[in-house]
Amino acid sequence: MSLKIMISGTGGQGILFTTRLLTGFFVGRGRKVVTSQIHGMSQRGGSVQSSVLVDAGDSPVIGRGDADILLGFEPVETVRALDCASARTAVFMNTTPVIPFVLSQQYVQKQGPGTYPDLAALGDTIREVTPSLFQFDATTMARDAGSSKSLNLVMTGCLFGTGIIPGSAGDFETWFRENGNPGQGEPNLRAWAGGVALGKRLNPVEQER
Amino acid sequence: MIENHRHPVLREDTACLTGNLAIVRGALEAGVQFVSGYPGTPASEVGDTFSAIADTAGIHFEYSINEKISVETAFAASLTGARSLCSMKHLGLNFAGDPAATIPYVGVKGGMVIVSAGDPSMITSPNEQDQRHFNGFLHYPVFDPATPSDTLEMTRFAFPFSEETRLPVLLRPTTRICHSGGMVQPRPLPKTRNNIRFEKDPPRYVPTPPNARRMRKELTGRISLAEDLLLGSDFFPRTGTGKTGIVAGGVAHAYASRVIEELGVQERISLLKIGAYPIPEMILADFLGSVESALVVEELTPIIEEKLIISAFRNGRMIPILGKKSGHFPLEFEYSPDLVESVLRKALDLGESPKKSISIPELPPRPPVLCPGCPHRTSFYHVRRVFGQKTVYVNDIGCYTLGYGPPLDCCDVLLCMGSSISKASAISRTTGERVVAFIGDSTFFHSGLPALTNALQYDDNITLCILDNHVTAMTGFQPSAVSDRGPEAPSIEKAVRGLGAKNVVSVDPFDSEASVEALKKARAGTGVNVIIFNSPCVIYEEKLRPRKGRGSYDIDQELCDGCTLCVRVLGCPAITIEEDKYLIDPDLCDGCDLCAQVCNRNAIHRKAKA
Ligand code: SF4
Ligand code: SF4
Repeated sequence: MSLKIMISGTGGQGILFTTRLLTGFFVGRGRKVVTSQIHGMSQRGGSVQSSVLVDAGDSPVIGRGDADILLGFEPVETVRALDCASARTAVFMNTTPVIPFVLSQQYVQKQGPGTYPDLAALGDTIREVTPSLFQFDATTMARDAGSSKSLNLVMTGCLFGTGIIPGSAGDFETWFRENGNPGQGEPNLRAWAGGVALGKRLNPVEQER
Repeated sequence: MIENHRHPVLREDTACLTGNLAIVRGALEAGVQFVSGYPGTPASEVGDTFSAIADTAGIHFEYSINEKISVETAFAASLTGARSLCSMKHLGLNFAGDPAATIPYVGVKGGMVIVSAGDPSMITSPNEQDQRHFNGFLHYPVFDPATPSDTLEMTRFAFPFSEETRLPVLLRPTTRICHSGGMVQPRPLPKTRNNIRFEKDPPRYVPTPPNARRMRKELTGRISLAEDLLLGSDFFPRTGTGKTGIVAGGVAHAYASRVIEELGVQERISLLKIGAYPIPEMILADFLGSVESALVVEELTPIIEEKLIISAFRNGRMIPILGKKSGHFPLEFEYSPDLVESVLRKALDLGESPKKSISIPELPPRPPVLCPGCPHRTSFYHVRRVFGQKTVYVNDIGCYTLGYGPPLDCCDVLLCMGSSISKASAISRTTGERVVAFIGDSTFFHSGLPALTNALQYDDNITLCILDNHVTAMTGFQPSAVSDRGPEAPSIEKAVRGLGAKNVVSVDPFDSEASVEALKKARAGTGVNVIIFNSPCVIYEEKLRPRKGRGSYDIDQELCDGCTLCVRVLGCPAITIEEDKYLIDPDLCDGCDLCAQVCNRNAIHRKAKA
């Protein structure tokens, strides 16, 4: 069974690290993995998209509507990657925005909206494409676990917690403890556990509304 | 930090490597001995990886001052028998065009590979030139991988192939290959490597016109040898026996083969992969003889398509050949699986894709922006204050290119590496006005030095701001000539003075008073004035010496009257406006103090430590 995961967020959120983790985990289980990353220059704050394709051939790019999972680290960036989603895609969205710097420029120059898009409207846009939208405040969970830098482990934990991908949370945790360097710190493991617990609670039907 | 002995390119188990790492692995498996490179996205990680493992792997490695030097050192190392590799982005090879053009004539000794990564769609570049033209243009065999696994195999193959043909090989991965991961099966590293010895043979190594004419004749023979060897390689695999032909190269081949499978039309298709140039004529002729039409799937320019058309004509095989020239594929930008699918559906009469296209509402963009606390922002801010809006600002390639656009507005013209000074010279000569040029430390040594010499020779009326942040930041913090700040290390100030510049000052941009004074003097002066803004890149500095607890800044809501000034002139991404309130994001703020200096109402202060 092939698996196509799209990860979307902003620079500095740990997208590339998450890609490496998932890649390492699946390769370790004997699966064939192809990845692709699009990130501009090294500056923090730009959009970053990354795909992880497991047993899905040589093409590193996920086509329109082809993703099984869209892991959105930030609301606007989740919607920006939405082209890869269709009715069968499970979308996980962190609800804490990273405010794009252009907004304050728009505000002072009185050009463009100048404010962050309405979160509920972003959610509606996603629901027009797929009923499976899971949204939660992963940034706060990471902060509560000790570091906002652990956001990626909340997201990954949640993904494994739901049980919708091949490999259990326990398998991943074992692998991570053996191979996850860097990132073994307590905040990371707490963030991971929080993510897993959340994923177990998530119920696609409840979220449908 | 991953330990050297555990670096993925040094391991022998099946792994998922990016195209860039696959190049390194392939070169190691071929016993590469000398590596040079100049950073440039998307190829930077090739040099970075060699830099990290060079000592462990026993390789000579250098980050060269520029790509020309990189090609020259790799070439000369090859003449001593060493297998050599140099890496750069596509544009870098233009800069190295002079040495690159004559290497095929003189010929190499140890196998030599030039990695020159392409960037279709210009994800991090100002143009998307097609490196495959180096085959027709300068006789380079060009290898064009479709996957990281191809990349590894081709790199390994390239070295002995280069030795046999005495031709340098151009390996051309595109961004989608460099930054994509794929499964590779490493092989053991070799036990022995080439012997090193420079054997004098001037007629062979000195292309005076009579020698060059002899070399040109020999070159023709070596090119046809290359074609013969490629005919025997695995770089042109064919799958399927259907009557509809598809010919594809690069990552577009991976898209095409995936789409064919998803559409379930394998029976109808013969898919030919083109992995190298020159394409042996027999491969095209055979393929054309076995299909009733051919659709070419290649990004950028219709090179394969034209070769097919020529081959069809010469062989009297008049079947439809579709691609860019027939209007099926666009001439610009990278392809995608969706594009390939829609063209294939049309060509095979399969009807429109059932996939719905989604209408995404307009979203705020996230263009790259100077980091919070970046010294360049401070320099630009001072320069704009002193030189005003009317002055022409000529910029260069580096993080500081982000001076483009509001609010800093310090980039009116941009072209290529090292060109700011020469452009400023000419604009000031024709307009009679004083022009400001910006250039970073790495770019200054790359190609700014000759331009400054030129400006001094003609006593041009320019102010040159050298933004010395101690590192090549934009491509991932590679060292520049002045990264080592020791007393004996090269110094920009000494270099500039040595060239004869008289008005030279070094200032710390965070010292506002000194900066403004230097700028005012430069503005009132004539001839070439040089100001060196010396302050390290904050991200690099943080990596070198983590400054824990420098603390962030805070805006006092009582004092802030929403005058917009800080946002209007600085564009620091740490400052946001939410519901008319000006806020500083503590996770982003670097604590550089600039906004506090700008604020007229004294509303911004360093946060008291919790
Ligand atoms: S990486 Fe360094 S030089 Fe580049 S924008 Fe950030 S702080 Fe400035
Ligand atoms: S001190 Fe002000 S200008 Fe400097 S990084 Fe913080 S918010 Fe930005």
